[in-house]
Amino acid sequence: MIRFLSQLGRYVLLLQKVFSKPEKASIYYRQTMQEMIYLGFNSIGIITIISFFMGAVITLQTAYNTENPIYPTYLIGLGCRDSIILEFSSSVAALILAGKVGSNIASEIGTMRVTEQIDALEMMGVNSASYLILPKIIATLLFNPLLTLISIIVGIIGGWISGTLAGVITSEDFIYGIQYAFVPYYITYSIIKTVFFAFIITSVSAFQGYYVDGGSLEVGRASTKAVVFSSVLILLFNVILTQLLLS
Amino acid sequence: MIKIKNLNKSFNGNRVMTDISAEFEPGKINLIIGRSGSGKTVLLKSIMGLHEVDDGEIWFEDVIFNKLDFVGRKEIRKEMGVLFQGSALFDSITVEQNVRFPLDMFTNKSPEEKIDRVNFCLNRVNIINANNLYPAELSGGMKKRVAIARAISLNPKYLFCDEPNSGLDPITAILIDELIKELTEEFSMTTIVNTHDMNSVMGIGEKIIFISDGVKCWEGSKDEILHSDCDLLNDFVFANALARKLRSEK
Ligand SMILES: Nc1ncnc2c1ncn2[C@@H]1O[C@H](COP(=O)(O)OP(=O)(O)OP(=O)(O)O)[C@@H](O)[C@H]1O
Ligand SMILES: [Mg+2]
Repeated sequence: MIRFLSQLGRYVLLLQKVFSKPEKASIYYRQTMQEMIYLGFNSIGIITIISFFMGAVITLQTAYNTENPIYPTYLIGLGCRDSIILEFSSSVAALILAGKVGSNIASEIGTMRVTEQIDALEMMGVNSASYLILPKIIATLLFNPLLTLISIIVGIIGGWISGTLAGVITSEDFIYGIQYAFVPYYITYSIIKTVFFAFIITSVSAFQGYYVDGGSLEVGRASTKAVVFSSVLILLFNVILTQLLLS
Repeated sequence: MIKIKNLNKSFNGNRVMTDISAEFEPGKINLIIGRSGSGKTVLLKSIMGLHEVDDGEIWFEDVIFNKLDFVGRKEIRKEMGVLFQGSALFDSITVEQNVRFPLDMFTNKSPEEKIDRVNFCLNRVNIINANNLYPAELSGGMKKRVAIARAISLNPKYLFCDEPNSGLDPITAILIDELIKELTEEFSMTTIVNTHDMNSVMGIGEKIIFISDGVKCWEGSKDEILHSDCDLLNDFVFANALARKLRSEK
């Protein structure tokens, strides 16, 4: 418990350092653009593939679990849409990104710590925490909502293709279903969650990397911890945010 | 001139520096020697302010460096060049960008002036035609030299080198030592070098401090080091087979 509190204190102090006034704005701008490519753009592939197949599976499962003449088939489209928007494209996608982006951030910053590159930055008058972490946070906060939107669209397309190919629903019914009783707020809800999760992934992973002590073994350990802690926090905040935003 | 007074430092209750005082003179190579784990890196990083000391004073000329805040330290750090134990070049940028980095952070020079300065420093350490390589593409000795170029890019008053020649072959090691010596004299810097290499000690040591388990045990010049009555130092100095042989023949 005491260890947990002291870790939490260190985390808050680090964030304070991260959000203190940057020295040279132009350099930060360039870094942020680069991180958008590394952390955001390079995740489009994995998000697309996974969303496509998850959309496909969700549709088929909805179809086979509601094989009942009373239910109109367009509800399959509706079910697919809502599961993807409400849960998959925000929370599950965030868990996947925690694995990909989180471990990447922790090992990059951790390696810089153990090879004294962070010390070298400090010696050059750079606020290393802010210089290394702030561009990553801003980049993911801006880019991840876009990933969520991509995931929603691709997921629904995946559902449509699998549903029609498997013959469980006609194309017209599916398209009718995904428009039926559409609540635009669900998209907002999904984006809000994504922004929260992006902050959790980036800041928690950066924290793990920044305070690595030792050698490459510890860097590996930090990157594992980054994934585990940010995943657990995502699950926890998923419940809290859902209660706050949907009740 | 750098002066340290009664420095103490512990990590989680573990004492690694006890009451260390010393003076480091300008235009000279000041060596800190000691066995692996004796606390050389901790001492050097404390002087640079990368570790906070528990108590004691670190004077750069007439200011107490360790009492300053980040902004005050930044002013003095402009005058420090550092060669870290593992070179610490930034992996994600090229050799040229590495050497240019301090210029970008600290000066408002024009891009052409910066490039000129970068090339001057790289030439000075004999790195030619490597501007666009990444650190991963360099050998260990080249990395050290690029790191030296980066350290001197702002024309520092103080130069700190943590084991500049560890991991290098004996000939390259001597070249690096000589380079540091030349630069120190050329720019009359106050240079502090950590080492556990007796070759360096006999080659470039003008003023030497020996530490063992975080305690300063001996201080003197390279001429005195062979005749000290400090047992710990003698164990260190005569650890290698050749030195022992020479001694017994004497
Ligand atoms: N960040 C740290 N946290 C805890 N202990 C540390 C830390 N840095 C160094 N130490 C401890 O301080 C002692 C001195 O370490 P230091 O790195 O200064 O040795 P050194 O003389 O530089 O050795 P080497 O020649 O191997 O580089 C060691 O016992 C080490 O375990
Ligand atoms: Mg060391």
